[in-house]
Amino acid sequence: MPTTASPALIEALQRAVGSQHVLHAPEDLIAYEYDATIDRARPDAVLFPATAEQVAAVVRAANQYDVPVIPRGSGTGLSGGTVPVKGGVVVALTRMNRIVEVDAVNRVAVVEPGVVNLQLQEALAPLRLAWAPDPSSQRICTVGGNIANNSGGPHTLAHGSTVNHVLGLEVVVSDGRVINLGGRVLDAPGIDLRGLFVGSEGTLGIVTQATIRLVPAAPDVRTMLAIFDSVDEASAAVSAIIRNGVIPVALEMLDQEIIKLVEPRIHAGYPLDAGAVLLIEVEGLSEGVAVEADAVIEACRACGAREVRSADTQPARDKLWEGRKVGIGAIGAAAPAFYLLDGVVPRTKLPQVMRRVLELSAQYGFKCANIFHAGDGNLHPNIMFDPQEEGATQRVLDLGGEIMRLCVDVGGSITGEHGIGLEKRSYMEWVFSPPDLAAMERVRLAFGSADRFNPCKILPGGHGCATGHADELARHIAKPGVYI
Amino acid sequence: MTSPTRLESLRHAVPSDVERSPSGFGIDAVEPALAFSPDDRNEVAALLRAADEAGVVVVPQGGRTALSLGRPLQRYDVALETRGLQRIVEYVPDDLTLTVEAGIHLEALQQTLREHGQYLPIDPPPDDHVSIGGLLATARSGAWRGHLPAARDLLLGAVVASPTGQLESSGGRVVKNVTGYDMHRMHTGALGAFGVIVEASFKVAPLPPVTRTLAARADTIAEAGALAMRLWNASLAARAISILAPETAERIGLEASPTVLIELAGLEVSVDRSTQIIREANPRADEPAGTPWERLRRLHGDRVAAVVRFGVPSSDVIGAIEAARGAGCIAWGHIASGAVIGHAPSLDAASVQRLRAHATERGGFLQLESGSRGLRAAVDPFGPGEVDLVRSLKARFDARGTLNRGRWMEGV
Repeated sequence: MPTTASPALIEALQRAVGSQHVLHAPEDLIAYEYDATIDRARPDAVLFPATAEQVAAVVRAANQYDVPVIPRGSGTGLSGGTVPVKGGVVVALTRMNRIVEVDAVNRVAVVEPGVVNLQLQEALAPLRLAWAPDPSSQRICTVGGNIANNSGGPHTLAHGSTVNHVLGLEVVVSDGRVINLGGRVLDAPGIDLRGLFVGSEGTLGIVTQATIRLVPAAPDVRTMLAIFDSVDEASAAVSAIIRNGVIPVALEMLDQEIIKLVEPRIHAGYPLDAGAVLLIEVEGLSEGVAVEADAVIEACRACGAREVRSADTQPARDKLWEGRKVGIGAIGAAAPAFYLLDGVVPRTKLPQVMRRVLELSAQYGFKCANIFHAGDGNLHPNIMFDPQEEGATQRVLDLGGEIMRLCVDVGGSITGEHGIGLEKRSYMEWVFSPPDLAAMERVRLAFGSADRFNPCKILPGGHGCATGHADELARHIAKPGVYI
Repeated sequence: MTSPTRLESLRHAVPSDVERSPSGFGIDAVEPALAFSPDDRNEVAALLRAADEAGVVVVPQGGRTALSLGRPLQRYDVALETRGLQRIVEYVPDDLTLTVEAGIHLEALQQTLREHGQYLPIDPPPDDHVSIGGLLATARSGAWRGHLPAARDLLLGAVVASPTGQLESSGGRVVKNVTGYDMHRMHTGALGAFGVIVEASFKVAPLPPVTRTLAARADTIAEAGALAMRLWNASLAARAISILAPETAERIGLEASPTVLIELAGLEVSVDRSTQIIREANPRADEPAGTPWERLRRLHGDRVAAVVRFGVPSSDVIGAIEAARGAGCIAWGHIASGAVIGHAPSLDAASVQRLRAHATERGGFLQLESGSRGLRAAVDPFGPGEVDLVRSLKARFDARGTLNRGRWMEGV
């Protein structure tokens, strides 16, 4: 098969990582054209390095042939962050999947970027430790991807986003050097390049090893399911719980649309006529857990909860959580396609914003299912649609834009954990002024990475990048049921 | 020397009533030629732009509590006091979010939060009389760190005045946000190398209903270390677990024994249960009289003495305490963060280097938090780090070296 990449580039890449670890035939590249969104673009080559030195050699080859480098983990991103818009070399880090070291005494681990989140959790669980980021994709997403996106998850409410759990990074930068940022202990001196790098979505360099901080398992955990007649009441309860001084470790909402999809699959006992449920988890010493659980129940009842169930054994807790965990998959099974949005609003604005999200969806004629991190004000409306229907994809994108605008207008932000990637580049100007964006551009220039690493991501504009969201790329549905 | 005409342009940039007498703004016994105390961010930006155009060096300052952190300045022409920027911009108690101007002191901010049963959970040295801008620019923490987040982890967003006079925002005011680069993280701990923080948004926390301090005495420092480790693993409702050498305990008004000092914070039932766990581990644990935490914080923030901060793995805290004592310091350590503070009337460069080697051999680091001008010139206060990227950032954010020149390294 002919390849689009220059033979000399392919040879250089093969020298860097070994020819068996380079894909360049067009049929082999298809799977690397997209992530969990609908944007697609073909890379020139995909390669699978095994060491930092190999990654550095790839970057030097990319410099020599002047092609972009796009780091990639499992491809579960939800903002088009790994789509190789300008072609180039996709560096898939899935072979670098060793847990190098776990220092349980000091609650530190050293891992390679391709380690799958859940595999790490399973290795840590017997030590009663965990890596705090727990995105819904944790069965397949990688630690490197968590770092690139500064990922969250249900337990971000208590533990904070990924950046709070990264002590040090080994990264390959644009000149092919392997450098170290941060360290092995909290709060290393010097400019916090580690903090700047986490969440930079592969635009500043490639993580080849991470030193991470682990959190201990709590002695006691209580999970509650509060059942409400309406999203309004459930939203009000979110604020009431926190106003009472209890910060749960997780506080999630599932609306009626989601309940109707998941309950028939898992039989967790979510009432099908409920308007919304809250999943609330508190943890700590048993004595405190009991008091906090009582306070949560009281706040929920005061906001109109018809029932609050409580689980304190692991199987019972797992059952309550199952609905949350299978929720996104259930939407995928119920609709030909859906658009999973990510926005953040101040917690106190949740009732009004949720009302408006449902109104807007109805106006556009789409079903919208909501399953999200209510405690953080982090919305995830899922708009279900049929891409075969004339104009539906464009209308979904327009609705998504309106919902993002709504988040910005109430003082929120356009992403809490999925990142800007390709998807939301053009919305950046809603949030930031030209001087703000120019400052961010200077970071990219200072890292020497403006055109090398993951071009056309995060910042609007960029040499040779399309300007608008809708006209940026030809969009295709990758396969039925895929998130866009 | 700076010519008077170049400085004159700064006077034209802002109303005359924001100019101050330069006396009282000395750093390392050097007084600036001019001093200003602007009233708002636009005046800060205007002053910076004028200074940048005039090619003079500006040193922003808030509570002036950390001026002996970093290398001696290469030049010092203009003092820029941030005290005038002290408004609370937005506070939504139900959202647990707060936006303030950077000159406000932590104490004033805590006062406002306390009225709503909330606080900013951070205890920087030397006390709450630090400005928010200074707190962020120096990124210093105290005994709570490790149990609680650092300032940079509580910071949701910031507005920064650049040397070219632009006001640049990043982040936002919501508690979870990954929109764009976290510029505010780059500015946190940067000692004003890239801009002057003029506004900051924070995630705040409910005040714990009950706090209680316990002092558990041990026969040896090693025993205190083992006890601290055991308590750290006991999931206590604690926000500080610190190990004090005997002379350190005595210095802050406690009995001169190796001591584990614990601050419990949380619901009454959790604090009571934690107390019980501590007493089971150490029957001698009691509630000490006096204000040991405040005294420890002040020692850490002592600007006259030489103060070093190690960061080491928790299991090496005892080793670092012993190393610091060996160099003539009184020393204490925080088990959760691995921070060990050594305090001495003075230290020589060779001692600091030896202590740094001790830390780096164990995967840690050492920062000189305070020291004489001579010591800070003789030994890099921060230790090895990524120099090329820092220079590259400085070249793009402060090309003319207008801000705090030399505090990180030659020209930066």
